[in-house]
Amino acid sequence: MIRTLIRYLRGYVMIRVEGYSPERFLNLCSYHNFLIWGLTPSGNGYEMYMSIDDFRKLKPLAGKTHTKVRLIGRCGFPFFVQRYRHRKFFFAGVLLCFVLLKVYSLFIWDIHFEGNVRWTDENLAKYLESVDVTPFMLKSKVDCPGIVKNIRKAYNDIVWVSASIDGSLLKIQVKENDDTLQEENTDVAEERTPTDLVAEKSGVITEIVTRAGVPQVHAGDTVEAGDVLVLGRVDVMNDAGETTGYQYVNADADILADTQMEYEDSMSLVYQEKVYDGKEKFQPFLRVFDLCISVGSIRNSYSNSEIFTSETRLKAGETFTLPVSLGMRTACSYSFEQKEYTEAEVQEILTKNFRRFCADLEEKGIQIRENNVKIQLYDNSAAASGTLYLNEEIGEEADTEILTIERKETDESVGTDN
Amino acid sequence: MEREGIRERLASAASMPKDVVMGAAVTTVLGNTEVCIENYRGITEYTDTLIRVQSKTGQIRLAGKRLQIEYYTNDEMKITGEIHSIEYNGGRKAE
Repeated sequence: MIRTLIRYLRGYVMIRVEGYSPERFLNLCSYHNFLIWGLTPSGNGYEMYMSIDDFRKLKPLAGKTHTKVRLIGRCGFPFFVQRYRHRKFFFAGVLLCFVLLKVYSLFIWDIHFEGNVRWTDENLAKYLESVDVTPFMLKSKVDCPGIVKNIRKAYNDIVWVSASIDGSLLKIQVKENDDTLQEENTDVAEERTPTDLVAEKSGVITEIVTRAGVPQVHAGDTVEAGDVLVLGRVDVMNDAGETTGYQYVNADADILADTQMEYEDSMSLVYQEKVYDGKEKFQPFLRVFDLCISVGSIRNSYSNSEIFTSETRLKAGETFTLPVSLGMRTACSYSFEQKEYTEAEVQEILTKNFRRFCADLEEKGIQIRENNVKIQLYDNSAAASGTLYLNEEIGEEADTEILTIERKETDESVGTDN
Repeated sequence: MEREGIRERLASAASMPKDVVMGAAVTTVLGNTEVCIENYRGITEYTDTLIRVQSKTGQIRLAGKRLQIEYYTNDEMKITGEIHSIEYNGGRKAE
């Protein structure tokens, strides 16, 4: 195999030897160490292959043996080049192909991320772009340890990063910390003004658990909106039972109360429905940078129409976006049709709305004890209305403004005592 | 004759390779399709049914069908084709 290739590259010829004693010619060839292969008898002579260099030295041998040597075929690469030497562009193309291959392989063409769950590819790619790591950068300029260091610095919850170059691909493998407790910064020690808890709504207290502050109400009390429930000011008493000072806290308590809420939802029985009549106009377009080339037009004489646009940006690989996008604008014609809901449909819609409303409340931790919401149908409308009986948290934080005045008075009294 | 005999005896006594000492042709036959001949002097006849090769000790006749010489160099030749017979025709005396 290798020998065949070498023969092809160096070039060889097929010759025919005829004469009185071609065998003698063969023996002379072998005596002079000329390699002969593919020797076949033909007529009263022989045909054989031999290398170009050997062929050039044949003349004296042929003369000595009185044989005639005829060249009948040229094979191999040198002859191939010779035959196509005028096709300059072909050879230029072959050369250009190799040159381009080399040049293109000098660049990073794509960035591939692996192992990221919380941080999306786009996010990481954007970050890398900000530190000048983008597709189509020179491979020699990629600093893998630097990238690793940067990512580790920028993302706290990425615990391991590996960057490697695989051909023209920059491969970034990351390991995210799965069990990070995303601790919210609750322990920010900020100076807060003392607060009370006041009633957000009117209702009857069912339960009160105070953690900080002085409770002002008991379970069973009826409160109005705005009433102070827990005071953020704790009296400091002396032995005589007199108030000598105040301590201020941020009142904190769980206060549950039975409250009421009015619910009302109405809808018209008559509605307009969009009916698409199937008339559409398309306008495909190609956007290169800011230049937009489109075919056709979506200008129309429809009385009502909607225009949809979809656009897809072309990507070479995973992260290397090209400044080329393909898209399609579509205009659809439609008309309105007057329609009326049936009773069952109305019931269904209103019930659904109400259920959704209740689900929202429950999601907020509000308990629904009871409701008497009813659906009424009128001539061309329907309504759901009624009262919801709830049990919910009604404490609301409010600054205790008046305290400063009282404090001054007590300060004075304390001062005189001393 | 005398000389040959001495040589042969010497070769066997010293257990030396005969192809070196006596110039015997080395013929390697692979199945009936391939023959490799070394240590020969030259071809005396070549057709696609018969090949005669001259060696120092005598002549080798290969008869067969579609005989072809794959390569032919100063020290080795390879013949392929369907080989029917290989004959050794005497030594120099026969010629």
